[in-house]
Amino acid sequence: MPITLVEAALLTFVLGCALGAALLEDTLAAVMAFAAYSLGVSVLWLVLQAPDVGLTEAAVGAGIMTVLFLLALSNTVSPDADRLFEPIRWRTVALVGGFVLLIGATVPALPAIGDPNSPVVAGEVSQYYLANAYAETEVRNAVTAVLAAYRGFDTLGEGVVVFSAVVVTLSVLRREVVA
Amino acid sequence: MVEFETALLAIAAAFVLFAVVALYRVYAGPTNHDRVIAVNVAGTNTVIAITLVAAAYQESTFLDVALVYALLNFLLSIAFSKFNVERGGVL
Repeated sequence: MPITLVEAALLTFVLGCALGAALLEDTLAAVMAFAAYSLGVSVLWLVLQAPDVGLTEAAVGAGIMTVLFLLALSNTVSPDADRLFEPIRWRTVALVGGFVLLIGATVPALPAIGDPNSPVVAGEVSQYYLANAYAETEVRNAVTAVLAAYRGFDTLGEGVVVFSAVVVTLSVLRREVVA
Repeated sequence: MVEFETALLAIAAAFVLFAVVALYRVYAGPTNHDRVIAVNVAGTNTVIAITLVAAAYQESTFLDVALVYALLNFLLSIAFSKFNVERGGVL
């Protein structure tokens, strides 16, 4: 399937935002570009029919990350920007560009979107969950059943990690937030 | 029906392109106030794009995402503006 017009426009937007976040000299402007980047990526998830991932990206990437960046900025001193863009380090560009090409070279090997014969869908494990998830857990969404029931302890561990991260961040900032 | 869906998606793409145009202001500035407004404009455009995509795919759950998105967009603008006025008063 060739990429649609919406996807092309979104990719242009995301790429523009990412370049802005990387290159703008003024840190506040870079944080703003990064927030716009997160919003663009979450729309991209929506267009790819993954609204739950899109919601998480919007809440974490655009919401929490931006506030954390702003808090970090307010607790540090940054010199006034005397030029619009950072100078570009060409060695880093070459390194990152090479890595992107390396990763991009593996993309054609991926199965097509929604391919029923791809190993992810046709594999024994996926078939087991698709067949038995509702009978065993009575959760309609198979992904939610795996996340909350089959690997519930793992998800609980993740919750503990996130909770302690929030507690530590707030204690480092020495500020109480009633949100 | 397919033409209608394509038209909706095309309009959504046009709104995302408007957001790309708004990115110019994020780059050029000249002040951070311009950048706040530009990011807000880009966000508003993408909210419209989400609702159009929701209509095209007939997925009403996407509208919830559009709601969260619109709220976040507003919150981001407030956070940036507060940061601009009183450095540090983000929360």
